[in-house]
Amino acid sequence: MAGVVYILAILAVGVASGGRTNNLLVWTFSFLLSGLLMSGIVSGMMMMPLRVMRIAPRRGQVGEPLLIRYEILNRSRWMPAYDLRAGERVDARAPALDLAGPAWILHIGPGERLHAEAVYRPLRRGPVRLREFEVTSSFPFGLMMKVLRFTQPGEVLIQPEIRALRQDLLARVTAGGFGGHRLSNHGGGSDDFFGVRDYRAGDSVRTIAWKRLAGTGRLATIERSRSVPPRVRVLVDLRTPTARLRTVEGEDARMLEERAIVLAASFLSLADRLGYEYALAVAGVEIPSVALRRGHFHREKLLSILAAIDLDADRTPGNGLGTSEERATVIVVHPDRVDIDVAPADAWHFRARELEQLVEGAVAATERTVEGAHP
Amino acid sequence: MTLLRQYRVASFLLVLLAIIGFAIAELDFTTLFAGVVLAVLSWYVTEGPRGRTLPAWATNLLTLGALGYASLDFIGGAGLVDAMESLGRFLMWLLVIKLFSARGEREEMQRLTIATMLVLVGCLESVTLAFGLLVLAYGAIAAWAAMLHRLNAGADEARRVRARAPGFAPPLELAYGRRAAPQFRGLATTAVLLVFALSVVGFFLFPRFGRVRLSQLMGESVSGFSDEIDLRRNDRISESRREILSVQWIDPAGEPVRSARPLLLRGAVLDSYDPALERWVSRRTSASVVAFRTLADGTDTPLVERVDADARPPYRARFEVRAVAVEELFSIYAPVGISTSVPRTISVDPRTLLLRDASGDRIGRPWSYELLVQPMPDAEMLEDLGRGRPARRRTGFPLPEMNAIAQGILAEVEQTMNMPPEPGPEATEAELRTHGREVARAVASWMRARFTYTTDLSALPREPGEDPIVTFLTRHRAGHCEYFASGLCAVLRALGIEARIVTGFIAMEYDESGSAYIVRESNAHAWVEVRTGDYSWTAIDATPEDRLLEIQDRNRSIADRFRWIYARLEFLWNSNIVGFDSFSQQDLASRVRSGWREAISERMRSVTQFAESVVARLSLGQAGGFWFTAVGVFVGAGGLAALIVVVRRRRLRSELDVVRLPAREQRRIERDAAFYAEAVRALARAGLEKPAHLSPRAFADWLAERHGAAAEAFRPIAEEFYRVRYGGHIPSRGEVSAHLSRVLALREALRTTRGAV
Repeated sequence: MAGVVYILAILAVGVASGGRTNNLLVWTFSFLLSGLLMSGIVSGMMMMPLRVMRIAPRRGQVGEPLLIRYEILNRSRWMPAYDLRAGERVDARAPALDLAGPAWILHIGPGERLHAEAVYRPLRRGPVRLREFEVTSSFPFGLMMKVLRFTQPGEVLIQPEIRALRQDLLARVTAGGFGGHRLSNHGGGSDDFFGVRDYRAGDSVRTIAWKRLAGTGRLATIERSRSVPPRVRVLVDLRTPTARLRTVEGEDARMLEERAIVLAASFLSLADRLGYEYALAVAGVEIPSVALRRGHFHREKLLSILAAIDLDADRTPGNGLGTSEERATVIVVHPDRVDIDVAPADAWHFRARELEQLVEGAVAATERTVEGAHP
Repeated sequence: MTLLRQYRVASFLLVLLAIIGFAIAELDFTTLFAGVVLAVLSWYVTEGPRGRTLPAWATNLLTLGALGYASLDFIGGAGLVDAMESLGRFLMWLLVIKLFSARGEREEMQRLTIATMLVLVGCLESVTLAFGLLVLAYGAIAAWAAMLHRLNAGADEARRVRARAPGFAPPLELAYGRRAAPQFRGLATTAVLLVFALSVVGFFLFPRFGRVRLSQLMGESVSGFSDEIDLRRNDRISESRREILSVQWIDPAGEPVRSARPLLLRGAVLDSYDPALERWVSRRTSASVVAFRTLADGTDTPLVERVDADARPPYRARFEVRAVAVEELFSIYAPVGISTSVPRTISVDPRTLLLRDASGDRIGRPWSYELLVQPMPDAEMLEDLGRGRPARRRTGFPLPEMNAIAQGILAEVEQTMNMPPEPGPEATEAELRTHGREVARAVASWMRARFTYTTDLSALPREPGEDPIVTFLTRHRAGHCEYFASGLCAVLRALGIEARIVTGFIAMEYDESGSAYIVRESNAHAWVEVRTGDYSWTAIDATPEDRLLEIQDRNRSIADRFRWIYARLEFLWNSNIVGFDSFSQQDLASRVRSGWREAISERMRSVTQFAESVVARLSLGQAGGFWFTAVGVFVGAGGLAALIVVVRRRRLRSELDVVRLPAREQRRIERDAAFYAEAVRALARAGLEKPAHLSPRAFADWLAERHGAAAEAFRPIAEEFYRVRYGGHIPSRGEVSAHLSRVLALREALRTTRGAV
């Protein structure tokens, strides 16, 4: 816009200087024209020696900022560069990323290498393919924008959004069941007495059973009991193809599936936060088998599995739970309606539509489905 | 970051310059003072610790007030010039209001746009040196500020995008390298200088049609001199102390002397009065004009065809043009010869003996000219100067009431002055003319004694429909030199005495240190010439000379000592910039063309001479030319080969990305890892260009997906490259030949599968 206004101003001054024998106007016209020319020359000389590389993270998450760094190298020997913006070229038809903060470089000197950071808002779950990014600048006068495009294929896996579910949700569903708190068969950890064993080198002096020593004259160590955290396996029921999901008017079937995945991810995240052991199963889509574990890497692994689910792929039979007799509370997340056949009888069933009622602060009761009864 | 803070200062400076520039263009020092004071005040108010600004309603109200004032001003004015002045004043007050209003990106743009428009309006109003210099400074600072503005706008934009989602995106961290501010200064200075250089080229190449007349463009401010007298205007008389000329009056012995009487420097002869327009004009006829070219060596070019050996030796008047190169060559009656510092084409009007510069160009330096002057020429010399074409007889005045007024004045003069006796009916024409001259002198003396000299005509109201000369002669009897000359001329013509008005300068201020008269703009003058022969005229000045001297002394100041510096600059500005027209353009073009040819032929001549001297010194004889050519070809080819080697090495360094390594390491890698660059180049030629972000190994993987055979051939090359580049391995001869054979194998793989890519 500024360039257009500037050109119009040049034309106006040119006409005025042509119509009057006023050399000051002629010089002004010439100066404005030279400014336009110099703008192109300076920005060209500034941009041509630039080489830029993208340093993208491997994973992102819907609802969380995705930081993509750009490494800019100015190969020029004497020409600095100013006012550079770097950013991805996003497919406007189906944008996966929304720019929340461009990478902006005030200055990069000749021969220097700088890093700048752009912030994106991931809009949808799944792998995002990055292909081209561009560096733009309208320095020196803001009249025209020079664009440099770089092709550097890359991929970022966007994990589903995680909603903060109510803290007591998992405690309720795991309480009393065989997935709840219990003591381990192995000792260690808590304050409760577990047993006494022979002393082994390295045992703490404080754990020595002094009475036993006094009685037998042999060193023995008191073992404490070890608690096992509750175990949860989240099962996402995706057996029904998207087109056959039951929706109410104005409801998007694909959105229901996505919400189911978000709910599952939120359950996993809550379980991780509470220190539970957890795992994931997906009915209808092939995923790698995952054992019950806890910890950051386990969480990332499960969220990445959820991120990689391709809802356009053919659905497969089976519930993904296998035949193992693991002792864990099963939480089933259904996109549209509850189907109790997918999980053992004592499983807890949730529907994607209930997501908003389950989040922190919402007033709603959890609903346990009983065998043979549909909500 | 100081670089981002500089913008505010640059922006304010720009606005301040626009206000000063417009005030100077308008020559309105009240506006200048008020505008500058308010602008400086706005800086303290808005940029001070409290940072107060006017609320939007107050800004709008003041803007409406300024608009209303400008509209009234516009309605009250007349013509385009007044409209431009009104527009300029409105823009200036709007700019001042905007200085006190809130500061945002939009307001900044508005301020800068208004400031630029104000300067453009000033360009339409004025072309003086002071304003021109301000426009140049404005251009430089505007370019600088535009760059700073771009940086500010970029930062603001980046911050604004991040601020759209508060708490989501982290705040912007400015990324900048070392020495950002000094490098910006260097870049901005270079860019501004280049813009100036380009604009100068554009200025000289801009198509121009016709000729610039400085007097039309600049009004009377060009020199104070005018080739017409417009009695309707009250602002003609300038009190400017600007130096226009310096004149040395040299006696026949060659000594500069001070004349007993002020020197009257003739510039224009006005022989016709138009009562409708109340204006004295010159009825020029180009048919009688004689033109000739002065010599470059400074010798005198005579204006007379016959040189009388018995005539009294002439004086010399040496003129130094100080401020402006006008076309008129001011001369002292009667010029008989001329010499110029540079060759010029001079035209002479035999009827008026006025000289003009008819060269048609004004490119070049300030120039000077010398006139040979015969203060008391005899009739033969004047006839010779007049080329046998005497001026037409002009008596009578085109106002019917003037005869009665003239008779009345004559009666008054007779009562107080000694009048010459009336010539008898048998008196010859020469006697009548002599009598007329004496009458003119008596009337002039009477006017000097009875009339009041004043430059302030505002206190002298005129009756509607009454001619200003009649008003001057009958009612007020006060005015400046133009009125004195007009009144005297009108009275003399009404009495049947041939008379005409001459405008030019009166040289009264004698500089003893320079032994020369200093002629200033305020010395512009008008007087009367009375015919005393077919070709001879006598100057008679009715203006009270003591009043002129008094005014001159009153205006004298210490600044006069240094005014010549500004005058010299102004001369250059006016002659080379303001007065640059199609004639000057043609002259410049021919000079450049001939200059190129001369420079090339001169250079060729010196090369040939040098070659001949070398051949002679080495006693190479007739075959010397051949040997010299052979050596030249050899040296040329060697230089070309060296250039190719240097270019290739630079390309290789760039390809291997070793530019920033120590020189020794660079040489080692260039020598030992050239095979890798060869391989990458071969792949690029085959359409498999290496993406910059891929490492050699990653590139091999990348290749594997596209060209299996090439990838297989390239992989060992990449591995070897790692050994040499990062492992410091120095390959043996056998390894070097192995590298080459791998490159050949890669080429072969690419050749055999051409089209598969």
